[in-house]
Parts: sequence; structure tokens; C-alpha cells
Amino acid sequence: MPIRVITTKVEFEGQVYEQRVVMEGDEPAVWGADADLRVVGKSTPRVDGRERVSGAAQYSYDVNLPGMLTAVGLRSPHPHARVVSIDVSRAEATPGVRAILTRFNTEGFKNPNNGMDIFGEEVLFQGQEVAVVLADTRQQALEALPLINVTYEPLPFVVDAEAALKDGAPRVKPGTQDNSVSDEWPQTYTRGDVERGLAEADVVVETTFTTEANLHNSLETHGGAAQWDGHTLTLWSSTQDIYGARKQVAAALNLQQNQVHVIKRYMGGGFGSKLGAHNAGLIAAWAAHRLGRPVKYMLSREEENLAAGYRTPTAQTYKLGAKRDGTLTAIDLKTVGNNGALPGWFPSVAIPAKEMYLCPNVRTVDYAARTNIGSMSAFRAPGVAEGMAGLDVAMDTLARALNMDPLELRRKNNTTRYQIVDKPYATKTLLEAYDRAAERIGWATRDDEARRYPRGRNGSLRRGVGMASQVWGGEGGPPAQAIAKLLPDGSAVIMTGTQDLGTGTRTVLAQIAAEELGLPLTSVRVELGETEFGVFSPPSGGSMTLSSVGPAVRMAAVEARRETLEIISHLTEAPVDALELRDGAVFNRETGKEMGTLGSYLGQLDGHEITARGMRGPNPDDVVVRTFGAQFAEVEVDIGTGQVRVLRIIAAHDCGRIVNPLTYSSQIEGGVIQGLGMAMTEQRFIDERLGVSVNPNLGDYKVPTIRDIPEIELVMFDRANEYANTIGSLGAGEPPIIPTAGAIANAVAHAIGRPVTGIPLTPDRVLGFLSDK
Amino acid sequence: MRPFEHSSVSSAAEAVTALSGAKTTAVIAGGAELLSLMKANLAAPTHVIDLKPARDLRGIAFADDGSVRIGALTTLAEIERDGALAERAPILREAVRDAATPQLRNMATVGGNLMQRTRCWYFRGPYTCWQKGGDQCYARGGQNKYHAIFDDSPCVSVHPSDLAPALLALDAAVHIVGPHGERSIALDELLKPPTPERRRETTLAADEVITAVTIPAQGVSGGGAYIKMMDRQAWAYALVSAAAQVTVRDGKVERARVVLGAVSNTPRRLHHVEQALVGQQLTAELVAQAAQQAADGATPLEHNAYKVQMARELTRRAILQAAGVEW
Repeated sequence: MPIRVITTKVEFEGQVYEQRVVMEGDEPAVWGADADLRVVGKSTPRVDGRERVSGAAQYSYDVNLPGMLTAVGLRSPHPHARVVSIDVSRAEATPGVRAILTRFNTEGFKNPNNGMDIFGEEVLFQGQEVAVVLADTRQQALEALPLINVTYEPLPFVVDAEAALKDGAPRVKPGTQDNSVSDEWPQTYTRGDVERGLAEADVVVETTFTTEANLHNSLETHGGAAQWDGHTLTLWSSTQDIYGARKQVAAALNLQQNQVHVIKRYMGGGFGSKLGAHNAGLIAAWAAHRLGRPVKYMLSREEENLAAGYRTPTAQTYKLGAKRDGTLTAIDLKTVGNNGALPGWFPSVAIPAKEMYLCPNVRTVDYAARTNIGSMSAFRAPGVAEGMAGLDVAMDTLARALNMDPLELRRKNNTTRYQIVDKPYATKTLLEAYDRAAERIGWATRDDEARRYPRGRNGSLRRGVGMASQVWGGEGGPPAQAIAKLLPDGSAVIMTGTQDLGTGTRTVLAQIAAEELGLPLTSVRVELGETEFGVFSPPSGGSMTLSSVGPAVRMAAVEARRETLEIISHLTEAPVDALELRDGAVFNRETGKEMGTLGSYLGQLDGHEITARGMRGPNPDDVVVRTFGAQFAEVEVDIGTGQVRVLRIIAAHDCGRIVNPLTYSSQIEGGVIQGLGMAMTEQRFIDERLGVSVNPNLGDYKVPTIRDIPEIELVMFDRANEYANTIGSLGAGEPPIIPTAGAIANAVAHAIGRPVTGIPLTPDRVLGFLSDK
Repeated sequence: MRPFEHSSVSSAAEAVTALSGAKTTAVIAGGAELLSLMKANLAAPTHVIDLKPARDLRGIAFADDGSVRIGALTTLAEIERDGALAERAPILREAVRDAATPQLRNMATVGGNLMQRTRCWYFRGPYTCWQKGGDQCYARGGQNKYHAIFDDSPCVSVHPSDLAPALLALDAAVHIVGPHGERSIALDELLKPPTPERRRETTLAADEVITAVTIPAQGVSGGGAYIKMMDRQAWAYALVSAAAQVTVRDGKVERARVVLGAVSNTPRRLHHVEQALVGQQLTAELVAQAAQQAADGATPLEHNAYKVQMARELTRRAILQAAGVEW
């Protein structure tokens, strides 16, 4: 089998990385748009649904090992302080307490991903760990916690982004020139000449738009359970990236990567916040390694809200210029994000401004402030969901200034080329998405009197319809590997190193394998979430799981089928080209006859298992692969009280071939609901005098309830993207959250006839818009 | 939560005996409030006494004189379900329908609902605020979107109950048993703004137990309405709520009770609005003018000025709806 080493480009969360890939053999030909598929494309209930709803599925929290200690953290009440001393003597003496970790007994213990001490001399935000108690039971650890006496020296702090970037602001990180998150920020980008573009414009509008910090609030909190057996450290980590977590744990504990085994079989939500082991997982691993006893450390809900990340709140200012006919001449964006205390990766809010609409003159300046708040972490389309809302609200403002239909303005500025590096898009069906979604929501009648004023002009209700666009990657890429095994009974096992975030990865991978192996779905088992298999997969983030791992599974299945047919050909003397696998049986294509079950052949081989490997090939160079879409929202606003109800959302996204319409619909609906939370209810409140969050709980931090969620209607595309990969699918995880907030905000602006300058659209804010002069 | 001993009693009198002299004993009914206080370490009883076996404290009874008695252990769900009560006092069903969640309404009792502490996030959080004996109200100059617009005490918290404004509009009385026997007080004698000496919103003594609330026949006369604004469609405390009970005879307002929730330390009866209505011909203009006075005297904080407009508008709507006029 020919081995090739290829360099290709892979995009992750808006950034492009060069990636070296080993290819063993060749990928199969692309499943074209007209491929005749039996299993792929069919609505298929989740293969692990029973385990998940019956409680049999083992989440990290459910791992309980003999002799296991429970860890509970003591966290800083201060936004910024020096930890002068810690007296643990009383706590240590309480029953069941086995160890207490502090900065005084964990020297050199760092989080390798950001280089920071796990227990630092300074705490940089409210909720940062100062000590961790390890006890036989959680109750014992909780009883010991208040007996720890920490002496803090409070230090100056800053929690507001604008304030943090001002001269003379207290420094979050000592010795830095300012509170920018790094030397690479602010990120600036220019294309063409913005000043000229604005000068050439017939109409210029300037808008501001603010978004709030949204918390992921995964139902399964961050953390993990760890065990050290003298050679291997096993971590049941709540992670979206078992390989990333393995690397991180190995570095933190000074072990070899292959001495660390990370397991994540079932996931209770991550949404981008779990691309690693998290401090809690590292602490569990470190303690298990040092103490020689299993340790579990899972965050409480409050800890989750303070120390597990959030979507960056932003303040965006746009200046858009256009010709009388709507042609954009300039986009000028300044945006400021509040990214919290720790170094790391930060999202760009400017991506939509650079890419979404055709515009020759673009300038974006993207500030990222460091503040004394628990650090941000990636949250489903980080930066882009915020930026798209700001841009599309600005586009509607421009449309009003031009006295132009907002949808017509988008159509006018549609681009078929990727403008950041001039290349054509592989495919783009956005104009069709606009048309079909507009038709569905009744865009043409959005200004009809009877529709806008459901109780007449004197009534307090106003209805509005708005829309927003979506662009996102979702192309995925290598490296991603899979193993397909055919077992003596004729069933198959697929092994990959990916993780199922709850999106249905297990199910769609089983469908792909079943398709190529000619097996019923019940004969395919998918194993994932184990580094021990040695089958590398990328993190489940960036909407890249299916488009990366799916083609690898397909190739492995194709190779396994090829080997199988060769073996059966030897056993039967039938020509290999005449053999076919279908419904778990072997057929002779020439005679049309069934030759027996697959198991009846493989069972003759004395336990021999057919094992084949597959891998994801490189991405195309000459085109840019993207998902596109749009959402349309209809809302009803009570102008007497400011209350907004979202009545309908139409979601039209082109994510290539849909492997499973059921799990696809769940993905879209989940994204819309999370976007609705961002648009309508979710907001973290920070007391700037104290530097603390006052609502780190699910009572006061309001995620939408079932009553808040409107009818969500999907416009399906389901077209193989033949440029992208051999299965023709792109990611659907992030696209659906991107346009929701913008569509709702524009619908509210349409309803009330006033600009909407920020979200969430709680009644107080809407009353504010209504009273704005 | 600290460990505690648990026992039960079968009457209010037994509960009073258990409470007397025992400072670290707490009575539990539905637990919807006490458990949340214990989890936040705002209550740390060493003994918890379950009052639920006291069956005679539960249920809704209608007396011949037209008054209504609701036992203290009656759950919010029972109020919501009771058809006869909804016919007599529809305002009560409206008030509990959007309170908390169905799960909580199945557990939460009338007595516990009235005895709730504020949901102010500083009070519930790790801050020694004025209500907890500290020297400052953190909300006053902090995050106060959900707080009071009327300045009734050093504390700007609001009472979270949806039931209380409705009961106040019905002239409800609260029946209490203590070591010295039984007493009855008006609801606005139970719920009072905190004072430096009594830093809580209720006047119930530590060794007293609520047994029932009663509503006089006159209280339920006419029509009633309760309107609540939330910043999501369910499971949220009121931003502002308005309760109104209005009797109209021959086109004139004969009697009116108007109460606002979530605008002050305790539910706020709007006597001046009532006076502007009574004796007048009921018209939309009259109600609009009266409701315009709903927030008179308000001194909103940095983040809650919206409550002024909301209070006026909900007052207007609640009066009209109570009077059977579509707004």
C-alpha cells in the first residue's frame, strides 16, 4: 500500500492551519449527488438512544472506582488578589480528608495550554481555585472547605473591557504593556481603501451593537475522574478532544503521551468549552498520580458558571457605505471583546464583516481585552455568532436608510468568491436559501397592516419579520483515522478516536459503515472516545467531526469490504468482481443469487478478524469550502411592556449531504435554541464595583425554557458537496446558531420601527429602544 | 448544606412546642424555600420539623358567609387546580399559574410562599448585606435590574411571591399560632419592609407558625386579575406584577384594590390609585389616568427605571381586566 505524506490546509474556528497528513492508500471515489445510498440519508434513531435515556450510559460523573477520593475546590471570592498564606491545619484534621492541594505543595504544576500555575500566587478572577480538598466523600470535603483559612491581599482589578484597555487601568497580568490579551491583538485587517469606499458611498450608516456574556451551561459540568496504575494514567475526562486532553495531561504530569489514556464515551454537552482536560481534569489526574488513589473532580453548577468559560461579550461599531442601488462600497468595523483573565485562544468577531457580503473596501479592528473575570472559552461559532448579529443588524439599518428591502440588499451584495484570499467558493446556494426561507415565512407580506398590527394600530402588539445570513467552515480535514473490523459472526466494529458530543456521531458513523459494508445498522457497532485504540481523530469542535471522521470511516469500510470479498472469492472460487455484500449476506452479482450470510464465511476463518484502516484525505486547494445559510424570524412585541415573543424561525442551511435527517434536525434546532437564548434571555451580570458575577446559577442566568421556544421550521438542502470530501457532508454544529440572534433582532427592529442596538431583548432593553429619541 | 436531624409533627401546636426556645429548629413544609436557603447556607438548622402530617392545615374551604379559608399547607398546584376557588377568586389561579415551575408548585405551600426571603442575588450570594446584618445594601449601587423602585428601607430587595400581591388585593388575613395561642393579622401586617431591628420582610416570630389565610366575602366581590411580567416565558420571578380586584355597579367603580408586586420590599397596595377609581364612572380614560399614578413617589435605581413604565402599564391592564374591560 503506497504511503504518502501530504501537506494540506485545515480551518478550525476561523483560523487556517497547515497540517501534515499520512495517507495509506487512496480514498474511495466521492459519493456524488446521485449516489444510490440505502442507509445514508435515511432518518435513523440514535443507536445509543436507549443507553442515554435509561441511565446506562456512563458519563464522567458516573465513574466510581474503589478507593476513589472526591475533590472539591475552594475558590477565590476576589477578582484579583495575592494568596499570602493558607492555613489548612484544621481542614486537614477533619475526618475523611486525605490531602489538600494549594500553591504551597504543588510547585511546578501548570496548565500546559496556557502556561499558568494551576494554583498561582495571584488569583486573577472570582472563582479561581485556591485550594482543592480531597476526601473520602464529597460531604467530608465540603465540611472541610470552610475550615481552610486563606489570607488574601486584594489587588486592583478591572472587569470592563473598555476600562481595561484605557491607559492606567490595573494590569491583569503584571508586567504587560496593556490589557490586550496578547501582542497579536488588536487584530487589524484591511482590504481596498475604506476611506475611499466611504467617500464614494451615496449613503453611510453607523451602528453600534452589544452582545452579552453567554454561559455554555453544559448539563455535564467540566472535570474528570482519574486513576494511576504505576504506568498509565487513565482520565475519564469530560472533553471534546480526547487527544488534546491526553497531550495536555501528559505535559502537566511529565509523562509520555502514550502513558495517558483518555476516555470519553458519552458526553453531556460541551459547545466548545471542553477542548481540553480543563483545570479540574488536570487536578484529578495530578492528584491521582501523586496520591496513588483514584480521584474525581467535577465542577458544581456555580463553579461551572464562574470558571468554565463563556461567550465573549462584545461592543461592535460598524460604518457601512453603499451606492443608491445598494452596492456596498465600504465596511468599517471596530469591535471590543471582553475575554477574561487567562491567556489562550481568542475568537475574531470580524469574520462576517470580512467574508459575508461582497465589498471591495473593508477595515476591521478587533480588540480583545484581558480582564479579571474567568476566561472566555470557545462557544459554538465563537466570534462569528456575535459578529454576524452585529453585521446583519447594521445591514438592516443600511436597508432602511436606502429605503430598500433588506433581503434585496443581501441579494445585491452576494459574493461567489472568498474575498480574504481571492478564490471561488466550491458551492454556494445562499440565494436559494434566501428564496425558499422568504417564501416559507411570507416575506412578501411582512409590511401588511393586518400582519404588523394583530390588534389594530391602537393595540399594543406589533409584529415584525427579520432575517440574517450565515457563513461558516465545517469543511473539516485530516488527520482523522478509522478502523473497520469485520468479526467472525459477520458483524462489524468501527473504531475511531472521535467523541460523540450528543450530536449523533455514533449513529451517523454507523450509517456510513453500514452503507459500505452492506450490513444492517444493528450489525455495526461504533466505538469511540478512547485514545487507547490508537486511531487519531481531531477535536469535536469547529463543526468538523462528521466531515473529518466520516470519510475516514467510509474508507476503512471500503477497504474492509474489499479484503472480505477477496477472502470470500478464495473460499468460493467466485470471481471477486462478481461478489457483493448486501443486508448482511453475500450475493453473486452475475447470477443474482444469495450465497449465504457474511458470518457463514467469516466464521470459517478460525477467529480471524478483518481489520482495515481508513483516513481522511487532504482538502482541495483551488476552492474554498463553506456552509451557507439564512434564518428568518417572526416576532411579536408588546410595546406597552417591552415583552417580545418569538413566533417562528425558518432555518435554511446548506451543509452538504445529510447523513441522518433526524440528527441533522436536532443539530439545527439545538443551534437555533441556543441562538434564541443569546438573543432573548441569557446574560451574565457583573458587579463592577466588586468585580464579581452575581448570577452564577441556572435560576438567575436564564436559558430559554420550552415556553420560550417557537416553532422551528427547517428548509432542507441535502446536496452532496462533491468538492469537500468523499461523503459530501459538511458540519452542521455551528451554522444554525450564527444567524438566529441577528434575525430576531432585525425582526424586533421591524416590529417597533426603532433601531435595536444590543441583545438580549429582555423587556427592559426593548422599552429602552422604544423610548430612545 | 449542614447535616441536620429530621422529625415530624402532626399539628401546628406541636410545631410551636418544638420551636419554642429552640433557635436552631426550622419547620419544613414543601421545602421549596427552606432547602434553597439551607443550600446557600442562609439557614443552617440543626433540627428540621416536618409539618406536612398536619392534615388539617391543608385544603380550601368555603364558609356560608362567603369567606374562603386556605390552609397553610395547601400547595400552589392545589390552588391552581381548584375550580371552585378559581370561580370565586380567579385572581388566585392567575397568580400561581406563572409562579416558578409545575414541579415547584406541586411542592410549594401557601405558608412557605408568604414566608419566602428575597431572591436578591446579593442576599442569596456570599455577601454580608444589610438584610444579613451588614452595613450596606450591595444592590443599591450595584446590579439592581430586579430591585425596588420604592425606597422603603435601607434594603432595595423585593419580595418574590406571586401569591402575596393577589392575596393582598383580596384583603386576606393570616392566621398564626404561637406559644400564646392564636392570632390573626392582615397580610400587610405579616409582610412589612425590614427595619434596622427586624432585618427581614416578615413579622412572624421564630416560634410561630402560619395555619391559614382567609379571604372575607367582600374581598372576592367583583372581578380580579393578576398580570406578571417576566424576562422569559416561564420559571422567572416577576419584573413587575399587578393585582387588581374591582367591583363595578351601574357603570361605577364601587370598590377597588390595586397592588403591585416586585417594586418594593413587600407587595405595594396603591391606595391613591384605588381612590382615584372609586365612585367614578368606569372608562378607559379614568383607568389610564389612575394607573398613570401607579409609580408616583418611585425613585428608580441605575438599572430598573423600566419598572416605572411597566408598573403603570400593568396597573392599567390589571384594573381593566378585573373590571371585565378588554384592554
